[in-house]
Amino acid sequence: MSKLWLPRKHEAERLGLDRRAFLEAGATTAVGALATAALGGCNSRGPESASGLLAASTRWNERVEGVLFRHDAMNVAPAGAQAAGARFPSYFVSDEVPIWDEAEQGPWHLEIGGMVRRPVRLTLGELKDLPRTELRLEHVCVEGWSAVAVRTGVRLSELARRADVSPDARFVDFESFDDDYHESWDIESALHAQTLIVYGQDGRLLGPAFGAPARVYSPVKLGYKCTKYLTRIMFLPAANGGYWSDQGYEWYGGV
Amino acid sequence: MPTAERRHHPVVRVTHWVNALALTIMIGSGLRIFNSYPAFARKGETFCCYPFDGHKIPAWLTFGGWLAGARHWHFAAMWLLVVNGLVYLGFIYLHGEWRELVPRPGVTRDVWQMVEFYVGARKDHPRQGKHNALQRLAYFSMPLFGALAVVSGIAIWKPVQLAPLTALLGGYVWARYWHFLAMLALVVLTLGHVFMVFAVDPYSLRAMLTGRYDEAKSPEARNARPFVNLRAPRPARDAAEVPPQSAPDRRGQP
Repeated sequence: MSKLWLPRKHEAERLGLDRRAFLEAGATTAVGALATAALGGCNSRGPESASGLLAASTRWNERVEGVLFRHDAMNVAPAGAQAAGARFPSYFVSDEVPIWDEAEQGPWHLEIGGMVRRPVRLTLGELKDLPRTELRLEHVCVEGWSAVAVRTGVRLSELARRADVSPDARFVDFESFDDDYHESWDIESALHAQTLIVYGQDGRLLGPAFGAPARVYSPVKLGYKCTKYLTRIMFLPAANGGYWSDQGYEWYGGV
Repeated sequence: MPTAERRHHPVVRVTHWVNALALTIMIGSGLRIFNSYPAFARKGETFCCYPFDGHKIPAWLTFGGWLAGARHWHFAAMWLLVVNGLVYLGFIYLHGEWRELVPRPGVTRDVWQMVEFYVGARKDHPRQGKHNALQRLAYFSMPLFGALAVVSGIAIWKPVQLAPLTALLGGYVWARYWHFLAMLALVVLTLGHVFMVFAVDPYSLRAMLTGRYDEAKSPEARNARPFVNLRAPRPARDAAEVPPQSAPDRRGQP
């Protein structure tokens, strides 16, 4: 070892970085660069070889979310929070705002089918005549924003009771007339007391931008799980993916 | 090598590098998620305390490619981060290393002395144990900010199922803000840490890789300030004190 590195007070400050330390520093930098490259670099989706691991981790996380789910966990919008009103973002997947055209498609109906003993078919008027629930909720979007709105509608658990859902049904698929948009849920989240078939927002009838005439809404699911422009609710023995879930977003999407 | 002592236990070394990887993935993917809504205000409201509302983080600092991909990485690496962190904390608790990390009485004075030394207002390196006072403070606060990041992260992952936790942090909007600030603190600590490793004590790299460390090369023994070891000898004022032949000698080495 070089004597240069023996502690000599104040002399030591004048010494240059020795070769060994230089090589070590260089080697570490190289390791770091390699690690970055292994990750696939910046702004990338990461290495393809990690996809299996990521899929397994997502399945595990969905199980954890299922375990964390409680029927008595409720969302209440903070008292001081302002309703988003017209600033509530509006999302749909069609090229234009989907509007149910009665002249062409006949009157709108909501169908409840699949593993049910009494299939239900409701007009908007019949839906509004059912026991009404009104909740002021803070919505959470997968993108990270949140927004407060008052939701008026009918508990899905109420509709499920009327349709006499089979105990073997484990999943629910919510279909729409917004192209082929649909999202399927676990039945526990669907039967949560705050899961509503919504026809009113902020005291008014649901507007076309927000899913008119009716949509599913629940604070226990991220926004993309809450199908707008609802046409059919199917109780199923197995999950049926969904518009965003099939494109790679987590299927469970719990909040 | 007779002068090299064991400095870091294998558990500490492994968890250190696993943590570096987990944090890199968490921060990169977290920033990609953040870019989907680079603001904190609830829709229809304003937020008091973030001046860069709506400005995205540069894409090259992000990881995951798109929102769903970044979320998959984020929610996978969170397990790595948490399990690794618990192994580390459990180990240093049981093995006693925590004594080298918790702030000691007089921490303010000790930290001030280190600052004075680094800016040149103090001649000699303050006496220290395994770590100097600034290091202690940094290595002690790192797990604290990590814990805040994890707790606030869980709070924004499950603001309904774990509503009491989210409420404790001031609700969803604020929990998201604490999550962001905890990340910022971790970034600042990490950048400072990496800077000091290269600028003051590059020999500590060996200690964190092989576990061995030569105390004779410690910053305390060398009286090392940032960069002083990377500079060529100053010819100007001190020239008379340095034998003229000594500098060419070193440069002449192969």
